[in-house]
Amino acid sequence: MDLGSLINALILGVSIASIWLIAALGLTIIYGTAGVINMAHGELIMLGAYSSYMLQFYLGLPYLLCLPVSFVIVALVGLALERGLIRYLYNRPLDTLLATYGVSLVLMQGVRLIFGSDPKYLAVPEIFQSNVMIGSVSLSVFRIVVLLVTALLVLALWLLFYKTRFGVQVRAVMQDKEMAASFGINSSRIYMLTFALGAGLAGVAGALFGVLAIVLPTMGASYVVQAFLMVVVGGGSLAGSVVASGVTGELQSVFAFFTNDTFARFIIFVLIVAFLRFRPQGLFAQAGARR
Amino acid sequence: MGNLYHNKIAQWIVYVVFFAALTIIPMTVSDSFLLNQLATYGVYGMLALSISLCWGFGGILNLGQGIAFGLGAYGMAMTMQMQSQSESNPIPPFMLNNSLDHLPLLWQPFQSTAVGLVLAVAVPTLFCAAFGGIMFRARVSGPFFAIMTLAMLSAFYTIILDRQAYTGGVNGLTPPSSFVFAGVEVDPYSPTAYWVVLCLLAGATFVAKLITQSSFGLVTQAIRDDSERVRFLGYSVAGYETVIYTVSGLIAALAGCCWVMLVQYVSPAQLDVGFSLSMVIWAAIGGRHSLLGSILGAFIIQGAQSYLGDAFLATWLLILGGFFIVVVRFLPNGLASLVESGLGLFDRQRPTSSPAPDGGRPMPAE
Repeated sequence: MDLGSLINALILGVSIASIWLIAALGLTIIYGTAGVINMAHGELIMLGAYSSYMLQFYLGLPYLLCLPVSFVIVALVGLALERGLIRYLYNRPLDTLLATYGVSLVLMQGVRLIFGSDPKYLAVPEIFQSNVMIGSVSLSVFRIVVLLVTALLVLALWLLFYKTRFGVQVRAVMQDKEMAASFGINSSRIYMLTFALGAGLAGVAGALFGVLAIVLPTMGASYVVQAFLMVVVGGGSLAGSVVASGVTGELQSVFAFFTNDTFARFIIFVLIVAFLRFRPQGLFAQAGARR
Repeated sequence: MGNLYHNKIAQWIVYVVFFAALTIIPMTVSDSFLLNQLATYGVYGMLALSISLCWGFGGILNLGQGIAFGLGAYGMAMTMQMQSQSESNPIPPFMLNNSLDHLPLLWQPFQSTAVGLVLAVAVPTLFCAAFGGIMFRARVSGPFFAIMTLAMLSAFYTIILDRQAYTGGVNGLTPPSSFVFAGVEVDPYSPTAYWVVLCLLAGATFVAKLITQSSFGLVTQAIRDDSERVRFLGYSVAGYETVIYTVSGLIAALAGCCWVMLVQYVSPAQLDVGFSLSMVIWAAIGGRHSLLGSILGAFIIQGAQSYLGDAFLATWLLILGGFFIVVVRFLPNGLASLVESGLGLFDRQRPTSSPAPDGGRPMPAE
């Protein structure tokens, strides 16, 4: 083992971290704000990928435009889901988990009925398909795009939560719903909007994952557990998810360098369980949040 | 006299009648494939029972019941695999394909059937005791514990997938011959296999029923409703939670053994997140606060999947998912709560209720 290949592993780790983070972003918002355990998050990611596929196939939209449009489409789906189901379950967190699992079954099978179970592919601009050398590691340009989009979204979310009136309201509802309500904040509306926002973020993640992997009705299932762990390790805050994804992405890459991908994932799972045993509130517990 | 649903004597009568009805089945069913299928429903019933015990009566939502089930199933499959190996040929073929030229240490105890069986049940049970003990002492509970069990389940899934030479990887284990115990071959398609499963299911149900009615069970139900209060009353909440979680794991491990005995196959798919979640669906739809309700939930869902699944092949998951959403939204305590409120109505109309011997709960369709 030499230092050079370890540095390669670290560079790859940044890319892995960005993938994990973007999968977890929407969940962070939803879990962090409303405490909803959204098992349908993976299927929202899948819907994002299929939205992009439809936009490309039927409307011929260029790939980069698919990202924001997928955001809007999946956010609308999230909005409908929140209004129709989730809002009745806010005081029953375990039931949100079960009900959203039902939703994930429905979405998965619904998409399979409409599009069939054969894989679909997303076309990307020529330039994204090439590779670049960073140091001595060859990284596909698309992975750098994922990294950039993730960074952009994190920045946008930070601005939204810490620099706008809406953000203040969200954080107030997060800390104490009743108190916020008595100051005239419509908490039901805040929950609705954050759920839609979280779903929309899953849509963007899906549009990106549709290129990294093939588009299948079952593609979402593989992301949901991982995304949850990032959110829980992070403690439900934006910064927490960023750090959690960063650390686990790097560790995954380094362990995979010494052993292999699957075994590295096993070590990560065990480490996360051990970590949460000693710090159940996660890396950055939100000040004044419930629990 | 209150709602007949809460009458303990009526409940016991219903349980006895239910299992008596199940014992008649092998005498009336001559199709051995159908009998085998019904026996696998018994395994699903055990799993739903184990979920009901720890979730409905202990308040611990366990999304990783596949760990106990899977470890039990792998233990049993390893035992059966070693039964078909001889002195001269001690190494299972899939290991040879993975260029392993000696029997790994992990597999050596399974050369003895008795030791193998004990391990198949003891390892998952001890794992549950250790994992539960560690987690509950750290006061991990509710949705949080559910996510931890998911993580642990994924860990087991990946390690079994990864260690191909020891576990058969994604192909799993397919013991070539049926299970032989004390010189008796248990043909999976024979009534014997059905009896074994039914006895274990009935035994597990009666033990679980006794637990829930004991003072121990009352404490766990109090923990489910408000763990802080119980803690302030001086009970060791973690201790109670660990025990009920371990018992539930033990039942799931037994189910795993039975399952391999019936289908002679195990693969990482049995530790898939989806399978563990479907156990929770059975219990939730049947009614997690009722042991029998959960078992019936498993029978109904799996039966419907087998029979309606063919007719509605494409839409089955859609129907199941939709039905599940409706149950969670409008009937949080499952179909059993319908029976409860139905009997409640009955009670109000006739204040001096006559204890109908079979009036407690609907009988299974079988």
